[in-house]
Amino acid sequence: MAPRTTLAVDVGGTFTDAVLSSAGGVFTGKTPTTPDDQSVGVLTAAREALAAGGIDPSDVDEFVHGMTVTTNALLEGRFAKTALLTTEGFTDLEELGRQNRADLYRLGAARPAPIVPPELRFGVPERCGPDGVITPLDLASTRAAIGTAVDRGAESIAVCLLFAFRHPEHELAIRTLASQVDPSIHVSLSHEAVGTFREYERCATTIADAALSPLLAGYLGQLAERAAAAGLPRPQVMLSNGGTVPAETAGRNASWTVLSGPAGGAVGAARSAERRGESKALAFDMGGTSTDICLVRDGAVTVSAAREIGGRPIALPAVDVSTVGAGGGSVAWRDGGGALRVGPRSAGARPGPACYGHGGEEATVTDANLLLGYLSEDSALAGGLRLDRDAAERALTRVGKPLGMDALATAAGVVEIANLEMLRATTAATVARGVDPRDHALVAFGGAGPMHAVAIAEALEITRVICPAACGVLSAWGISVAGRRRDRSRSLVQPLDQLDRMQLAELEGELADAAAAELGVTAYETEAIYELRYAGQAFELPVSGPHDRLRAAFHAAHEERFGFSEPEATVELVTVRVSVSTPAGTSRAPGDEARTNARTGTRTAWFGGSSYEAAVVPSAPPGDGCLEGPAMIEQPQATIVVPPGWSAMSAGADVVLVKKAAT
Amino acid sequence: MIDPVMLRITAGSLAAACEEMGEVLIRAAHSANIKERRDCSTGVFDPIGQMTMQAEHIPVHLGAMPASVAAVVEFEHAPGDAWILNDPFSGGTHLPDITIVTPIFSADGIHLGFASCRAHHADVGGREPGSMPADSRTLEEEGVVIPATPFARGGELDRELFESLINQMRHPQQRAADLRAQLAACRRGETRVREFAARHGVSVYREATAAVLDYAERLARNGIAELPAGEFVAEEVLEADAFGAPHDIFLKLRATVSADKIVLDFSGSDPQHSGNLNCPLAVTESACFFAIRALVAPDAPACAGAWRPVTVIAPSGSILNANAPAAVAGGNVETSSRVADLVMRAFGRAQGQGTMNNLTLGNHDFTHYETFGGGQAGQPDAPGPSAVHVAMSNTLNTPVEALEIEFPLRVREYSIRRGSGGAGANPGGDGLIRDVEVLADMRYSLIAERRRHAPHGAAGGDDGKPGTDTIDGTPIPGKSVGELKAGSRLRIATPGGGGFGSR
Repeated sequence: MAPRTTLAVDVGGTFTDAVLSSAGGVFTGKTPTTPDDQSVGVLTAAREALAAGGIDPSDVDEFVHGMTVTTNALLEGRFAKTALLTTEGFTDLEELGRQNRADLYRLGAARPAPIVPPELRFGVPERCGPDGVITPLDLASTRAAIGTAVDRGAESIAVCLLFAFRHPEHELAIRTLASQVDPSIHVSLSHEAVGTFREYERCATTIADAALSPLLAGYLGQLAERAAAAGLPRPQVMLSNGGTVPAETAGRNASWTVLSGPAGGAVGAARSAERRGESKALAFDMGGTSTDICLVRDGAVTVSAAREIGGRPIALPAVDVSTVGAGGGSVAWRDGGGALRVGPRSAGARPGPACYGHGGEEATVTDANLLLGYLSEDSALAGGLRLDRDAAERALTRVGKPLGMDALATAAGVVEIANLEMLRATTAATVARGVDPRDHALVAFGGAGPMHAVAIAEALEITRVICPAACGVLSAWGISVAGRRRDRSRSLVQPLDQLDRMQLAELEGELADAAAAELGVTAYETEAIYELRYAGQAFELPVSGPHDRLRAAFHAAHEERFGFSEPEATVELVTVRVSVSTPAGTSRAPGDEARTNARTGTRTAWFGGSSYEAAVVPSAPPGDGCLEGPAMIEQPQATIVVPPGWSAMSAGADVVLVKKAAT
Repeated sequence: MIDPVMLRITAGSLAAACEEMGEVLIRAAHSANIKERRDCSTGVFDPIGQMTMQAEHIPVHLGAMPASVAAVVEFEHAPGDAWILNDPFSGGTHLPDITIVTPIFSADGIHLGFASCRAHHADVGGREPGSMPADSRTLEEEGVVIPATPFARGGELDRELFESLINQMRHPQQRAADLRAQLAACRRGETRVREFAARHGVSVYREATAAVLDYAERLARNGIAELPAGEFVAEEVLEADAFGAPHDIFLKLRATVSADKIVLDFSGSDPQHSGNLNCPLAVTESACFFAIRALVAPDAPACAGAWRPVTVIAPSGSILNANAPAAVAGGNVETSSRVADLVMRAFGRAQGQGTMNNLTLGNHDFTHYETFGGGQAGQPDAPGPSAVHVAMSNTLNTPVEALEIEFPLRVREYSIRRGSGGAGANPGGDGLIRDVEVLADMRYSLIAERRRHAPHGAAGGDDGKPGTDTIDGTPIPGKSVGELKAGSRLRIATPGGGGFGSR
């Protein structure tokens, strides 16, 4: 089979990146993001990469896309006017939540407002219980409710009935009725869109799906048109679970894409670790406002079964990213008790750090990095802008002076405190899950990742830091090698020993067929994940393996994670998740072909309160040799900081490896 | 000299250590109370028993953790030791809350302080499953009372004590797992504090932890200084109806703010009673600290320093400082809520639902305990959220689908109780309605407050609506136990919050 030509475009908060992989090499494009219509920037970046490679759009086999359209809409509350049809007596499910308040001590803090307003919530006469239908669906009043919803301007309908994950027939009947009333209206059914039990999470996710899908479908339709006009194939879209699906499928299930952006970066980091032969790694993505951390195993991202975004639950498989509000733009301040603090507020892109000279007066982590000598004044970080060291110093002095510290001590403190915040998130992503981080490699990316990564590694007793040369476009590269993937879940909530294995196999087959149809593929791999628990527990553990080995596998998993198991207890199968995927791509990451081995010189940098004349090297350490720290490696998209006691070396054209010196 | 950077690093590292202890506990524990409801706390202390940091999982433990360490601080300590206790009159709160305390030593044997971990166990051998009987009159009916007792010596668990304790409780294997989880959490806290002291040196560690206490004190004082100076009084009632005729218990508060200090004096409150609404002083203090934090200092680190400007006075033998052998099961859940209300009221704030609406259903096949949210008070700067836990608790509900799969119950309605929040410039939040049909004969036990007395509005805002409870349409008292026949419907409508400000 001829090597495929893949064009991947990722839309981030500031830049839109393209990576084009072909037989002739790997080419990139970068352009400012166009927030009003992301597809404009997408095509610009795509054209740039195509031009760089001299490749005709018609030669592109696959066009894949990661975006933040749904994430932004969810966070900003831009929704289609959505109606909810649910079991009579339960119309307030979304508003009720789980009864916990948003903040322990700020008593007025509210959870996000419900997406569906009271006048668009309809209870329909019907009821299913665990064992089946108790009250049949009243078709006439359901049809009337749909009519009223449409009359009141509903553009989309979410349907969530109690126990529909086991007994979907009433939800299916409602879709039929809805299509009779208004054939064009979007309908999301809870057993299809989500499929798992626990009514609040399923209902809220189904509502988000219905509220976002018309918007996403519109955007993807527009993108597909622009792509077609440019001679490109129909786009594939990155889902939150780290796999891609055809745009049509994504547009029908927008809730699956809310973590499309972070998923690309995590996949890119996972594949970078795999190429270095690291089976255990931590993806460390530090940007301007926040840092994302994700556990990586054998080249794959870890996926969680559910998470919260902007205070709303999304009960769907998504990359298991822990986020902390500390990044290059995080603002330093002093609190009323006389302590130095950093973030979570960020100076953003405008005005940005004081050293950007856009009128920002507040000291940020980037200003501190500049003063400590980690960042060069002519860094490419700010888009070719020359950084203003004096402005950084003034800003840091302003924060530090009332605390009795000079600008340099303040800068060191700001970096140390920012690192502490990131460390706490890393601990949560590892220790909290029973994972010892010490035998992991750290994969550093994002604009500020390689600058802070070694300090984080040092604190975690990690000895190897991988810095992909593609650091600035790692998300786009991750999307290009992600492979297609669609998950389908169905809750059973049955004791394992009462399970009919034939029925289970049949259910898995159904779920796999449905997922494959959505992917539009005929050749694929299937994996089933079983979420199990001891009867009476509130949380499940995912386990895979043949049906007759699940019990043993669950006891073992429970022992490993919680330190004990209960061989006598009843084990329940709560949810079956079937994942259908095609093999991941193999294209190599964009490297840095035009390396010079010359040192550009030295500059003063501060580590642990002492100043050093640190070597400054462009792109990568020279040849096969080791570059001993302290040193700074200045790449087009990031600066790698190598502190004393660490050394850096090139590992192929696409990676710089930073290792702790043996002691 | 501890600089502002080291101050933040120390506060952050201690908080991270406590959070990590909590993670160890929650993922290793077995009780739903700990894993799902997060009814647990972890903390680290200095050698004289001052709490240097606490991870906050649930507010009702805020002031109660230091009492546990105070109960053991005078004993001899050696590396690898551990103490266990739950006696409400000597370091505990109510019996299901079991606390483990371990001393922390550096590698060369210097005493650095203590790690402590408290968790609400699913059962401690009381008269009723769950060990929270609605109608208990003495502590003994509520379960096994454990005074501060050595639980491990030199790293060796006291097996005999361990076996004897768990065998007096229901589901001993689950108890064993929970206690091991608590011990593992303390050990993790010891490790992290030891590492911190090793990295920075013992003298810097001592200076830095002292600086964190002073820092929290400054933040708290800054907050309190924003309150108007002077004396403020308030009164409140508890509905002690468990034994027939309605009976009110009166609580009184005189709050004195002078500059950046506050004295909360509950003198004049009723004596302890024959039911279980009694509070040990530690629970009263927890509720006071919660209210002060919510009023003025939500950002101060949870440590002894933050409470230095707060003095709590409650006469011995009163309902807010009860003596042995008073029953206390309801004090921790209900009276604590009312104390928080009282402090809020003294400072002109409206009140939330002021109850946890504790419902236990069960027969010989099952026991199910659940609490229900209600209306939060309208705040000076925001409306009160609806259908949430308002004060000393913040636990999750049980999903309807989980409930119906597991138990012979069918939920007929679960909705917002519209119009129950008090009107105001910032209205109180609405309560909720839970209407349950029982599918088998069973017993019920309800401990709920704010059924006869509404949560107050403030600054011209209206009161919230009191809660109501019915069986097949017939009202029942807020504290009651009884039989339900298959097919009966129990309907609970929780109180709305008071409004703040005139419309």
